[in-house]
Amino acid sequence: MAERPGEVHRLEPEEFLQEVQSFEFWFQSVEGYLTGRRFGHLPETPEEDLPENERDRLITALCNYCVGETAALEGASGLVAIAPNRQIQIFLSTQVVDEGRHLEVLLHRLRSLGVTDPEQEIQKRVNRSLLAFKRRLFELVAGKDWEGSIFAQNVILEAMEFSVFQAHARRADPITREILDGIVKDERRHIGFGENDLGRRLKATPHIRARLGEIKRQLDPLVLETFEETLSELAVPPDERTQLGRAYLAVVDRLGLV
Amino acid sequence: MTDPLETIQEEEERRRPRQRFVLDDTGFDEVPRKYRRFYRRWKGRSDTLRPNEVLCPVCKVVIRSTRELRPGDRVYCMPCMSRLFVVLNEDGQLEARVAY
Repeated sequence: MAERPGEVHRLEPEEFLQEVQSFEFWFQSVEGYLTGRRFGHLPETPEEDLPENERDRLITALCNYCVGETAALEGASGLVAIAPNRQIQIFLSTQVVDEGRHLEVLLHRLRSLGVTDPEQEIQKRVNRSLLAFKRRLFELVAGKDWEGSIFAQNVILEAMEFSVFQAHARRADPITREILDGIVKDERRHIGFGENDLGRRLKATPHIRARLGEIKRQLDPLVLETFEETLSELAVPPDERTQLGRAYLAVVDRLGLV
Repeated sequence: MTDPLETIQEEEERRRPRQRFVLDDTGFDEVPRKYRRFYRRWKGRSDTLRPNEVLCPVCKVVIRSTRELRPGDRVYCMPCMSRLFVVLNEDGQLEARVAY
């Protein structure tokens, strides 16, 4: 394609999907916001001296993000094998790379905050509801339930991370903010893929709506509890929490899964 | 019953040539360089959208076109890979809806 294309919105839908679900598109996209960064932030970004209680709360949040990202990494890897076509397999492989990068930068951030054994710290601080969510997601992937897995991972989990990371970035120290901003940029592709793929499938086979509704009912309490606990840890005011929860509700509403 | 005057106004509106816009790079860095001018960051509720812009409901990025947008137009949000169509909402504002 030419370097300066005409109106991008004139692409045919199939042409658009082939373009955006490619490794080429992914590579040129991440190049824009990751070049020059080391472990997700600019090397010259200063480390802020955090008070002990804030540092401790940040470590708890990061430990839980690591669990979420590990779930997404293992989930996306498993989904490659059951993807309905090669184009989706290629897109998912870019998601796997994204999730691996997220995990790496978060672990690195924990170490830079003085956590010598991140694995042990994660076990100590992990939210039990998030672990239960992860278990259920893996059951769906192992059961080769494509729609259920995409719903749990790319709609529910990614929507939660998208909202929480944005809220956290707004009040975080400069290094953590840069790391989270970079992750949010990746998450845009993941949430968009999930909602659009599922939307197309629901349109073609509306009977799967009931099954997804059941999965939603199982996962909602786990998501809400995790969401609530993380946002409270980050001292996000209650009115902002409600607003953030609406982002997730808007997706399920658009998909007709309320 | 349709007001004949309203119909004439709608017809005239449809026939009016669309405004054209030159898109410059606003620093949006989440898509390949060649597509960057078609998107910009949303500045929140106080952000005023121009006649060639709509907000992506999925990922909250502003989608831009080289021409004035009208109801029925198709637009793409590359950052979240969504296909959308433009509608006029209850407040008379242009809005993007996801087309699955």
